[in-house]
Amino acid sequence: MEYSFDWSVLWRYREQLLNGFGLTLALSLLGLTGALAVGLVAGAAGASARRLSRAISIGYVELARNVPLLVHMYLWYLGLTALRLPAFWCGVLALALYSGSYVAEIVRSGIQSVPAGQTDAALALGLSSRRTMTRVVYPQALRIVAPSLAGLFSQLIKDSSLASVISVGELTFVAGAIEGDTFRTFEAYIGISVLYLIAVTAVSRAALFGLRGRIVEPAMRY
Amino acid sequence: MDLSVVSRNLPYLAMGFAVTLETAALVILGGSMLGLLLGLARSGRVPGLRHCAILYIEFIRGTPLLVVLFIVYFAIPPLIGHRFTAYAAAVIGFIAFIGAYIAEDLRSGLASVPHGQIEAALASGLAPRQVLRLVVLPQAIRRMIPALFNQFVRLLKFTSVASVIGVTELTGATLAVNAREFKPLSLLTALALAYFAACYALSLLGRWLNRRYAIAS
Repeated sequence: MEYSFDWSVLWRYREQLLNGFGLTLALSLLGLTGALAVGLVAGAAGASARRLSRAISIGYVELARNVPLLVHMYLWYLGLTALRLPAFWCGVLALALYSGSYVAEIVRSGIQSVPAGQTDAALALGLSSRRTMTRVVYPQALRIVAPSLAGLFSQLIKDSSLASVISVGELTFVAGAIEGDTFRTFEAYIGISVLYLIAVTAVSRAALFGLRGRIVEPAMRY
Repeated sequence: MDLSVVSRNLPYLAMGFAVTLETAALVILGGSMLGLLLGLARSGRVPGLRHCAILYIEFIRGTPLLVVLFIVYFAIPPLIGHRFTAYAAAVIGFIAFIGAYIAEDLRSGLASVPHGQIEAALASGLAPRQVLRLVVLPQAIRRMIPALFNQFVRLLKFTSVASVIGVTELTGATLAVNAREFKPLSLLTALALAYFAACYALSLLGRWLNRRYAIAS
């Protein structure tokens, strides 16, 4: 092996790496917010009793999640050049619509796992159907699906690396730039994978810690 | 929308589609093998092997696919003094990536086989190796069908990332056509529909196999 390692390159480029890391986190957080917004609506529609809402929800979910994220990125970036959205927001849009379909499926299964007796009881107590949903069904459903949503967020952080192909200057893009400058390919890519690993581990640990004792088994007694 | 751009370039795009399907088929085979080996190592009782498997699985699961691909294509060759073609690097990277996820699914599949079955099999005189091969694995794999096909569909979508390192699969071919014709909306819509059809067909196959072979728990 003739390759000599030079890890100091990571320290020399610390500012770019931190900026890229920040952009990765911003991309992921905004993407998550969008995915939650889209997914909560689509998931509720998917669990609704109305056939039309269900059909629209299923149509969106199947279309969005059977198309690669990379194609989502290109579609919003190249396909909609008329909109002149900055690359960063195209990335957020692509992440939100792609991951939104996964959130929708998680939310739908969460709502359906709340026992029907809970809805019946709430309605029998005189709650309107809207309050039955917002006060009785959703709070329980969200507790059931919280761990899956945390898993989805770690996935989203990693998925955001694909925004580098539409020239968003996030972590993977920065690694490419460092490589171009210094030819320190191995150090650059191993360096950023450690950063991704830290972010993903932090999310799953935080979820584990934050959800401890609050996770509700489906069909638990109240 | 101008769909004639798609029909004009159909032979080239179809070639790309064939490369995508071929890659996916290779990776499904290779990834399942790697997943099986890693999953067994992860669930087994050999300490060194188990820790290596855990380390590998956790590293891969915390790293984006694109970065794994860059590591295989750009970062490993200077270390080992051998360059892969883009296609070989993509297949190796995908197998290395999806194998870790399949290993995790296998682990929960193995854990779902009731312990009494293992005891019963040992008591009836099967060797530990036979217990694994004849009793535990067949049931674990039948329980894993939905999770496994989830990974396969994911993998089929992920093959698009190979275009970034220059493989002319479906996405790469579409982008090349777009560079000449500049009709992004038509081309990318057709691209999305092609992936949709392929992924949907694969998930239907998974559902069918699951209906046929799943074990009611």
